[in-house]
Amino acid sequence: MFRRILIANRGEIAVRVIRACRELGIASVAVYSDADAGALHVSLADRAVRIGAAPAAESYLSADAVLAAARDAGAEAIHPGYGFLSENHFFAAACAAAGIAFVGPPADVIARMGSKIAARQLASEAGVPVVPGETPADQGDAAVADAARRLGFPVLIKPSDGGGGIGMKGVRDEASLLTAIGQARREALAAFGDGTLYVERLVERPRHVEIQILADHHGHVVHLFERECSLQRRHQKIVEETPSMAVAPRLRAGMGEAAIAVARLAGYRNAGTVEFLLEGSGNAAQFYFLEMNTRLQVEHPVTEQTTGVDLVAAQIRIAAGEPLPWPQEHLLQRGHAIEVRIYAEDPARDDLPQAGPLLLYREPSMPGVRVDTGVTEGGEVSVHYDPMMAKLIAWGDTRDTARRRAIEGLRSYPILGVRTNVPFLIALLEHPAFISGDVDTGFVDAERSTLVANLGGDPPPDALAVAAQAVESTPPDATRSSAGLDPWGTLRGWRG
Amino acid sequence: MVKKPGARPSARSGRPEPVEGRNPQRFRVTALGNGRYRVSDEERHRLAYAAGPPTARWVFLDGRVYVIDITASMDGLQERVSHDEMALASPMPATVAAIIVTPGQDVSQGDVLIMLEAMKMELPIKAPRDGRVKAVACNVGDLVQPGIPLVELE
Repeated sequence: MFRRILIANRGEIAVRVIRACRELGIASVAVYSDADAGALHVSLADRAVRIGAAPAAESYLSADAVLAAARDAGAEAIHPGYGFLSENHFFAAACAAAGIAFVGPPADVIARMGSKIAARQLASEAGVPVVPGETPADQGDAAVADAARRLGFPVLIKPSDGGGGIGMKGVRDEASLLTAIGQARREALAAFGDGTLYVERLVERPRHVEIQILADHHGHVVHLFERECSLQRRHQKIVEETPSMAVAPRLRAGMGEAAIAVARLAGYRNAGTVEFLLEGSGNAAQFYFLEMNTRLQVEHPVTEQTTGVDLVAAQIRIAAGEPLPWPQEHLLQRGHAIEVRIYAEDPARDDLPQAGPLLLYREPSMPGVRVDTGVTEGGEVSVHYDPMMAKLIAWGDTRDTARRRAIEGLRSYPILGVRTNVPFLIALLEHPAFISGDVDTGFVDAERSTLVANLGGDPPPDALAVAAQAVESTPPDATRSSAGLDPWGTLRGWRG
Repeated sequence: MVKKPGARPSARSGRPEPVEGRNPQRFRVTALGNGRYRVSDEERHRLAYAAGPPTARWVFLDGRVYVIDITASMDGLQERVSHDEMALASPMPATVAAIIVTPGQDVSQGDVLIMLEAMKMELPIKAPRDGRVKAVACNVGDLVQPGIPLVELE
């Protein structure tokens, strides 16, 4: 087993990996940018190394800076978390060349599965269905439009090397086709530096269901069932759960086998996720391979809560060469888990990202509720990074118990100083369609107006009464020292 | 911004004035320390949280968050800033991703004029009214600060 691991990430996932290291008796090394000198992951790790300025390109995305930090700190392995360098095959290769274990699949597997074209081709070879589509060889607007017409409307146009929903345009008719191609190309160039476009048949009312897999270096591959990730806004997931309401036992087994077949053919190692689009529900539903994420997912905790498997610890053990400790038939799903992502954003103002100091931040503690967080009271949400602050994961013996626990957890989760989507998430979990499980990937955007209907408006009298009492208890001139801002948190500059 | 109904903390005592009109309930609020408050009415107790900078109090109650302005002199401040200037400025530090309009161009209310990007999210600056673009005060790639109009409309 490794003695020291560097965590090349920030926020809640860095904290999550540090905790797993501590549990396994491995020393942890955090890295941080100038904006994160006071961040939670920095104070929790055994050591912390500054790797650069606040912009991610100069710190968390800098392979050279991260590798130099790992060498200086004597780390034997690097855990990349998700995002940043986690799916960068050049970085994985550089780790291997430096004799440092990359906690993830080999560089060539990342490269192949990172290309939508190559991944789809591999899935087809593995006998797994894919959504009809192509990357037109001629990338001129007219040729891309022709390819879309050949597939037939509705079509989806998206960056060939994209992710996160950026630049994805659904096109229902000829009239908006060329505009959408132009927009998709501009966004692809801006976000990924590559304007190559991909067109595919748009599956109507699709669900997004993914299968977690683990593969060791001894030829064992297992799946850890599905996660339902259909609740998305602008193609970004906000609520995930397992089991999926739309997946019946035979379909689950089929999707699990398909995911394992893809992983085997790819020569996959470590934790990965095979994403599928699901059309329909029950055993009659049709699934299509979408892509494979060659890293830990944000939503991995719902799988952990229902299977009892610590996926981060499993990743580290696999990277250290240990065999998987369980055969497929020993893995079981128990109960139901729901994760909600807590974003610093204002749902009443079109999800505008928010930044600022966390004047008060108290996590709920109650049966069946887990919070994975990257922030603390007195800390700050920075403008430089993704606005996801934390995740709340509720487990229950039934879906409704998990749902009620998630709501109760959110109602007991005061976050003050920065607007968050907590009220929006409560409205979502209380929505009749969510309760019945009848949702698809377009649900949140379609129901947006109902979900935000009660979020604006003047404060009610009970809230005003609290404000008045708060003024009396902590007069304005006393607030700085009494309302959560930690004076010690302002002391900086001595940390190595 | 606090409007008429409900209790308002008075500048002198900090006590809520009696609640009147459409909200006849009375709430007794007890400070429990460390930002925690108990809100009591005839039926039940609830737990609330409050914190804030000198000019406002953030209140968490029943899963909802309210930002309550406690400085009477702040009333009307926003009205003094013209509607255009507010609408045509970035609401937060952001990078200019694209400039959609050119000077002299006629625009309609709601048209996207500038596309900003902040925290991995697109942030459109839209026309607050119909008008003609007089000048564009930013370039693609600029890091812009809140409060400074990016487009001038005439």
